[in-house]
Amino acid sequence: MTVKSANEKLGQGVGFERIRRITGYLVGTMDKWNDAKRAEERDRVKHGLSKDA
Amino acid sequence: MIQSIIKRDGRVVLYDQNKIAAAILKALEACGEGDAADAARVANDVQGELESRFHQDAPNIEAIQDTVEKQLMEHGFNAAAKAYILYRANRTRAREANTALMKTIDEITNIDARASDMKRDNANIDGNTAMGSMLQIGAAGAKAYNEMYLLRPEHAKAYREGDIHIHDFDFYSLTTTCCQIDILKLFHGGFSTGHGYLREPQSIQSYAALAAIAIQSNQNDQHGGQSIPNFDYAMAEGVAKTYRKAFSRRLRDAVEDYLDLEDQEEQIASVIREAEEATGETAKLESKPEFLEALAQGLVRQYAVELSLAKKLVRRASIRSAHKTDRDTKQAMEGLVHNLNTMHSRAGAQTPFSSINYGTDTSPEGRMAIRNILLALEAGLGHGETCIFPIHIFKVKEGVNYNEGDPNYDLFRLSMRVSAKRLFPNYTFLDTPFNLQYYVPGRPETEVATMGCRTRVMGNVYDPTRQIAYSRGNLSFTSINLPRLAIESHGDEKLFYEKLQAVLDLVAQQMLDRFEIQASKHIYNFPFLMGQGIWLDSDKLTMQDDLREVLKHGTLSIGFIGLAETLTSLYGGHHGTSEEIQKKGLQIVGFMRDFCDRKSQELKMNFTLLATPAEGLAGRFIRMDKKRYGKIPGVTDREYYTNSFHIPVWQPISAYDKIRLEAPYHALCNAGHISYVELDGDTARNVEAFEAVVRCMHDFGVGYGSINHPVDRDPICGYVGIIGDVCPRCGRHEGEQIPFERVDELRRLYPEMPAFQGIE
Repeated sequence: MTVKSANEKLGQGVGFERIRRITGYLVGTMDKWNDAKRAEERDRVKHGLSKDA
Repeated sequence: MIQSIIKRDGRVVLYDQNKIAAAILKALEACGEGDAADAARVANDVQGELESRFHQDAPNIEAIQDTVEKQLMEHGFNAAAKAYILYRANRTRAREANTALMKTIDEITNIDARASDMKRDNANIDGNTAMGSMLQIGAAGAKAYNEMYLLRPEHAKAYREGDIHIHDFDFYSLTTTCCQIDILKLFHGGFSTGHGYLREPQSIQSYAALAAIAIQSNQNDQHGGQSIPNFDYAMAEGVAKTYRKAFSRRLRDAVEDYLDLEDQEEQIASVIREAEEATGETAKLESKPEFLEALAQGLVRQYAVELSLAKKLVRRASIRSAHKTDRDTKQAMEGLVHNLNTMHSRAGAQTPFSSINYGTDTSPEGRMAIRNILLALEAGLGHGETCIFPIHIFKVKEGVNYNEGDPNYDLFRLSMRVSAKRLFPNYTFLDTPFNLQYYVPGRPETEVATMGCRTRVMGNVYDPTRQIAYSRGNLSFTSINLPRLAIESHGDEKLFYEKLQAVLDLVAQQMLDRFEIQASKHIYNFPFLMGQGIWLDSDKLTMQDDLREVLKHGTLSIGFIGLAETLTSLYGGHHGTSEEIQKKGLQIVGFMRDFCDRKSQELKMNFTLLATPAEGLAGRFIRMDKKRYGKIPGVTDREYYTNSFHIPVWQPISAYDKIRLEAPYHALCNAGHISYVELDGDTARNVEAFEAVVRCMHDFGVGYGSINHPVDRDPICGYVGIIGDVCPRCGRHEGEQIPFERVDELRRLYPEMPAFQGIE
């Protein structure tokens, strides 16, 4: 990754860090996850708070 | 005449009939079927047959071995022939394992972890570093050896083919999983890490530092995650020591300043000592009035000052020491969090996999520790990064912290604000009936605590007088591929239960075999865990004793994965789709729990049922099942099996229903369980909404739960929160650059922004 480029700018090629709970614990950013868990994370849907959501 | 033979690797070597005779003799002797003379006769005939087939050509090894098999049978040595065939099959398997091992090591050595799913099997090990790779190579070698030499053939087959998964198989012959470390017991009188002796800590900073060292040391004796069950109770002791020291210093300063004196250390010490002796109390965050009164009287006697002035000096000292103690505690808790995210363990390949449990100590010192560890977690690491370790577990208890008016309700509220930002703490519920049955007020060791991914150890059939969380842990666990049993039962429920019974028996036997290996170890194999008396009753062992009896305080856990897919295969839908199928789900899990309970009573050992965490396992079983059975809708058509008893992650369902449906499984899975609710970021940031979910878990009888929500961070501007396509703080897209003037502008607004050494 290049942090600084020649024209005095910052962030070239630097991605966002995405932290998710893998199972009971966290791990660093998601690029360390195995393929199956990545697929599982992609499929997660949010749960609504009303009783009949 | 046979002159030479061709070996497997292609080399040509001299033919030696004695070698053939020796192999035949081994097979004969193994079955008690013949002697050296018989072996020589068979070997002669083998040579005869080879000469008639090959003439002057060199036969290869396989052809020679085929001929030996045939001649053994022709001579009527049937058992020996069978033994010889088995021996050959085993050797072939060993050779194949060797080749596979070399291929694995090749992948570990040469392939970037980003391109190798195998190297990302456990996300906590960085497979790209030297030490991480060495650990993975060691694990691969140990696994190959264990499968070849330690497993019974039927267990090896079930493991290899994915009927079961033996967790931490690389450590099969070496150690056990995890332990709840009672650090108070450890600290009292000091302890040795195995590399040096540490005196009993005397301040909150040392308590926090040694807590991290205890976790790190134990991590090298066991393969799982390590945990502190009494974090608040233990840190409270450190807070109290820091306060006492601070108070004596502050009182001296106050007296010296006000009365314009020097070197009053001894005099003040004796005033404090007299007050302590007179009242049986000490200086504390909330000192007893009679102690403060006695101190003031002591100052009057020592310095001949007015009582009102003496009281003022005591009050100033109290207030200043409380501030100083709070500052020290804050620093100590920040230090602990930093340490546990940066310390090395296991040859540098990991940071310690650690958990801390807290929330129920209502003493002022305990509360100060809890508040500051939560604030440290909320602040994050140096650049605002979310801390990965330790796992924080907040113990929820009615009358202690659950309801408004409870002494620690404010800390429960604070914990939710923090969890809504940082994903931790998780919540464990002590009022849930299966946890409440062990709870004795005033005895923190009876409060359920969790460790690592979700492990819970409380009941104890081996020693029913010790049903406690402290000093115990899991010995090993093996998980069952539940969906495969269903697929192979083709909707036949009775057949499914027969298959399930058979695999439960197989797993129990396999774990008992593993226990035999573990039980034969000694204290010196575990210099910290056993040598320092961390594990229950290990302080009663001598160097000669094996670990059999003390290990029986631990648990042998049978796990499972994919209840949802199992139900879909058997009944056409998962337990989130109908109450009928939910009943079927509870029956299946109840069946496994009954098995564990019966086995426990029969052997007086703790067999427990685990809702398997399934990080590496999420994909392993389904990959094999997809190959075997093809894509079955709702069963094998995704890349993962659903975690334990969870409602599938893709199922639209309300938080309320998800909790209601999953809670009853918590009661059944006594080795460990967890439920998650997924909230969108805005809902999670709303503490009322967050609390509603936690209370729902409490009321439905969940044992352990946590709330998931997105936590993103832009490493350039340091923004932490939800980032869609564009960072809400600096406005850049992923991978995009921003001008330096903009960086400087942002830094004025957000002084905590990361600094980029050497380029700014």
